[in-house]
Amino acid sequence: METLKSAFDFSDFPRLDISIAGSIAVFLLVFPLFPHSAFAMATMIQFLMFSVYGMGWNTIGGYGGQVDLGKAQYVGIGAYTTAVLLIRWDIPFWFSMPLGVCFAMAWSFIIGYPLFRLKGHYFAIATIATSLVLMDLFSVWEFVGAARGLEISPIKYHYPDFLHLIFKKDIYYYYVILGFFFAGILYVNGFRKSRLGFQLRSIRDNEDMASSLGINVHWAKIKTYAIATAFVSVVGSFHACYIKNIEPQDTMGLDLSILIALMAMLGGAGSLWGPIIGAAVLIPLKSYLKAWLGAAAGLAGIDLVIYAVIIMLISALEPRGIWGIVEKRRRRKRR
Amino acid sequence: MSLLEVQHLTKNFGGLSANQEISFSVQKGELVGLIGPNGAGKTTLFNCISGLYPVSSGKVIFDGKDITLLKAHEIARHGLARTFQIYAASGDLNVQENVMVGCFMRTRSTAEAKNRARDILKELNLSDLSNAQVSELPVAAQKRVTMATALGSGPKLLLLDEVAAGLNPNEIEEIMINIRHIHNDLGVTVMLIEHVMELVMNVSDRVMVLDYGQKIADGNPKHVAKDPEVIKAYLGERFVKEHKAEFA
Repeated sequence: METLKSAFDFSDFPRLDISIAGSIAVFLLVFPLFPHSAFAMATMIQFLMFSVYGMGWNTIGGYGGQVDLGKAQYVGIGAYTTAVLLIRWDIPFWFSMPLGVCFAMAWSFIIGYPLFRLKGHYFAIATIATSLVLMDLFSVWEFVGAARGLEISPIKYHYPDFLHLIFKKDIYYYYVILGFFFAGILYVNGFRKSRLGFQLRSIRDNEDMASSLGINVHWAKIKTYAIATAFVSVVGSFHACYIKNIEPQDTMGLDLSILIALMAMLGGAGSLWGPIIGAAVLIPLKSYLKAWLGAAAGLAGIDLVIYAVIIMLISALEPRGIWGIVEKRRRRKRR
Repeated sequence: MSLLEVQHLTKNFGGLSANQEISFSVQKGELVGLIGPNGAGKTTLFNCISGLYPVSSGKVIFDGKDITLLKAHEIARHGLARTFQIYAASGDLNVQENVMVGCFMRTRSTAEAKNRARDILKELNLSDLSNAQVSELPVAAQKRVTMATALGSGPKLLLLDEVAAGLNPNEIEEIMINIRHIHNDLGVTVMLIEHVMELVMNVSDRVMVLDYGQKIADGNPKHVAKDPEVIKAYLGERFVKEHKAEFA
């Protein structure tokens, strides 16, 4: 009960934040009702998806300070679980999605247990490696379509199919992912004030001190990693139904892992709004860049250059991202 | 019954023996000072007792249980808390939230942890700083916050590692009030490492001295201060020889 109340309690934020967040929430709710291009709609859905990815990353990477560059493997597990079950046995999204979360969490325990013996850069590198290994395995596994991937054929479903999450119009997908988006915010809001949330922030500061305060550092990291995984896997399942065409490279590639981490770090790791801000900046940038420049020969990959510049700027100027700048300003003003 | 009993504890780092065959016990309700020159192995001893370092040999018995092989967080849950010399407060937790982390050892509820943290800050006269960022506080206040955080976990025994180092006389006075309050009024057994003699000699019931990893003295602060072995450890053999007459 206390946990539920805590999730809906935003009172520790300044009133300004709450009113801005509220207006944005209202805007997101009514956005599809206004005339918009298909491109804008697709960009908005991408923004919401990446926000939720970022929120998940933020629990372990932001609050916990464990830089995880392998989140894509869990996107893949979610996406493949949903796609395989749908294609082979016609199993609805609302069943395959939780099952995907179970698979992803199980895998996260297997990976997390040894990996969290590593620290800092070593941990980050290890997460990349496990993700790439899984991607390679899926690329040769015939059961899941190997390198060709899987394609969900929407022909046999009657639009709009809420059970299997097969829609013709993007507006339905928009509201589904918006639901996950709001749920994610509420969860993280409760999480950051929970026992585990506090313990994790203490671990980020000083692991020896955390363990001398009775915190099982290793287990707390594994638990949080599983939570982060669940977020990512849910959106992975959604991705399968929305894109309808999944390949190992798209769903498990290093690009995706880096983009997820980058977004949360740009917005502000370890803050509630950070990943959303990061996604709001990067996703439109990415979409429009692709549309304007990507098609031109010789300019493919320009988005990667821009990410690299952003990474350098964050690490040089403000490791806590855009939200870190806001907070610093505020603190200065208070004094 | 003794609350903490250390038996023949030895800790080797490669060829270096940081703690050699150290044995002592701390009774419930005592306030024990641990002194010794730099590099004597005081912090290593704390790290061994609190489980951060595995001991090379020997035994640590706390509250009747053998905790030698337990991990740091398990030992903490038995009621043994400690502070650290260097407090890396880089994070975004404010003072009250820091203390809450300690309180969370005994409760799952955020509201309860918050209330307990508030009480503890009040006990240590830190209420005014509740909302400050730890990293922005002066060292003295940071040290008191670490004491409050350790206290949050509701310990039977509190190990304090140089809480007065680098503080001015006024700040030492404040810390002394805090330590006395924790010991006398809150009933926590305390063991403290300290270089500030004014503090150790004033608050301790008993003082132990380490030198080169070995225990060289253990007893009443006044007697320990006059012990030739101790003076030798601090001031060197020559000094003791030259002033032999005064110690006789």
